[in-house]
Amino acid sequence: MNDRIFGILLIVLAVAYGWGATQLPAPFGGSEAVGPETFPLLLSVVLVLSSLYLIVRPDPDNAWPWSRTGIELLIAVVVLVLYAALLQPLGFILSTTLAVGTLCWRMGSAPVRAYLTGAASGVVVFLLFNFALDLALPLGVLSFLEVG
Amino acid sequence: METLGYLIDGFGVALAPHNLMFALLGAFLGTLIGALPGLGPANGVAILIPLAFTLGLAPETALIMLTSVYAGAMYGGRISSILLNIPGDEPAMMTCLDGYPMAQQGKAAEALAISAVASFIGSLVATIGLILLAPVLAKFALTFGPAEYFALFLLAFATLGGITGKNPMKTVVAACIGLMIATMGIDNTGVQRYTFGVLELYEGVDFIIAIVGLFAISELLFFIEERAGGGKEKMTVNKLSLKWADIRNILPSSLRGGVLGFIAGVLPGAGASLGSFIGYTLEKKVVGKKGYFGQGDPRGVAGPEAGNNGASSGALVPMLTLGVPGSGTTAVLLALLISLNITPGPLMFTQNADIVWGVIAALLIGNFLLLLLNIPLVGIFVKLLSVPPMFLLPIVTMIAFVGIYSISNTTFDLYFMVAFGVAGYIFRKLEIPLVPVILGLLLGPEMEKNLRHAMDISDGDWTILWDSGLAIGLWLFAGLGLILPYVVGPLLRRRMKVTTGTGGPEGD
Repeated sequence: MNDRIFGILLIVLAVAYGWGATQLPAPFGGSEAVGPETFPLLLSVVLVLSSLYLIVRPDPDNAWPWSRTGIELLIAVVVLVLYAALLQPLGFILSTTLAVGTLCWRMGSAPVRAYLTGAASGVVVFLLFNFALDLALPLGVLSFLEVG
Repeated sequence: METLGYLIDGFGVALAPHNLMFALLGAFLGTLIGALPGLGPANGVAILIPLAFTLGLAPETALIMLTSVYAGAMYGGRISSILLNIPGDEPAMMTCLDGYPMAQQGKAAEALAISAVASFIGSLVATIGLILLAPVLAKFALTFGPAEYFALFLLAFATLGGITGKNPMKTVVAACIGLMIATMGIDNTGVQRYTFGVLELYEGVDFIIAIVGLFAISELLFFIEERAGGGKEKMTVNKLSLKWADIRNILPSSLRGGVLGFIAGVLPGAGASLGSFIGYTLEKKVVGKKGYFGQGDPRGVAGPEAGNNGASSGALVPMLTLGVPGSGTTAVLLALLISLNITPGPLMFTQNADIVWGVIAALLIGNFLLLLLNIPLVGIFVKLLSVPPMFLLPIVTMIAFVGIYSISNTTFDLYFMVAFGVAGYIFRKLEIPLVPVILGLLLGPEMEKNLRHAMDISDGDWTILWDSGLAIGLWLFAGLGLILPYVVGPLLRRRMKVTTGTGGPEGD
């Protein structure tokens, strides 16, 4: 069933992609044998055919993690997105403490140890990058610590 | 003899102090990556690529370091096979068969040492093979026209799943997705394709971001799903007592395994797993009744381990000479080459001779370093094996974030990486292989360029694509690559399963 649904989605994608290719403007200086649309059109045809195969002869399904594990996964993705969002405003050390700590904690570590790991790894990598490798990672709200 | 001269120059590059230092660092990190749970070689090399950039390494230094990582990861993969009966990566599966029984008999240190020696010999044999074969193949590849290259790329995709692969159609699907992503951005006629007016997409999708997302982030999600955060029990290794006679005893097995592995590595569609499988079965046949395979025969450790390492060096041959990688990790190395602005393929041997030969020399040196590292330091690696993934994977994820962030200092790339990670997780759930996606991303622009050139030459006549004998041959092999898995795949897979199934630990 997974393969069938995925196959249908892919066909939709392939058709949209192929249609997009036909809408591309002709390159400056007139059209050639292989324009910007030729290769994408080829790809969309191949993808339609191979997706049809998936629909006709799907593999047995892998179970999707619903319920609790699914929520854990969702949490992890949210943490990653927040990590990306907060990296600049909060600064590298704080955001790393939060992100790595939360991930360790959700993967089964005791909370205190988890956040200590996060803080330690954040500080070590920050120091390593800023002093040994000469690459500035953002300090964010901790920028008052900046030396010189 | 020309080759020898180049090789000596290569040693000149590889033996430069800073290159040697990075080779040592790479070998150490590689073994670590191979040994640690949840960090395959492809994954490990991928995470280190952005770091190599941020360090501002010279191209040859970056390549030498990451090739050492690659070689080291193959060494590291065996540690958990032997001690825990859990293969670190797929090719290490066969090492479990005799390695784990040896460990159970209290000969873990010997098994580890033997496998290190066998890995060394396997890589050495294969590197010599690489030195002999690569220049010849590169010269031959100079005769390829654009039509042949187009067919060659198709061949690379078709055989990527390997003849033991499960569903070749999924490889095709994956390749299409990768190629489609590659078409995003401004193409070489200056037309914007699929950019949706987003400024960050004008230059296309950076494949490094895609690779790190697909491998590293999806791995994190997989570990969370399997709740495998707890880690493994602590292990101890007995004191090593290895006699020369033991090493002499496994020499023939290692040599045979290395040669076979090399061949399997060079051939498209075979790969390291098949290499180590054939290595093991051949050993069993050759030694015959005198052996006690499956019950801790050292030759059963040496054969497949040499085969596995031989195959990984062999896989560098098509990558370096033709620019088409045959495995996930070599695909990642190709990504590194492209980002360093080195066009892989036959011209590399003339235009960037110092880099190519420096890397080959570094492989030889790296092997010596690995052997030196692995026998005395194995205790450290064993300790690291018990680091629980619940601490390890979040830190690895953080390193991936730092690496990607340091390329461009924008958070846009980070969101992109997370998105690729989620996509990678879904693909893996659907058993859509990730390597063809990456290969599509890497080869897409080249493939389109060659198609365009071929058409320009023929003035729009599509038959040029199968106009020469060479091109027809390549198309034929590509077709076989897709059909054979249906014909012989089930048989081979069953055989491999039977071997691993019955050869595993019987009771305790």
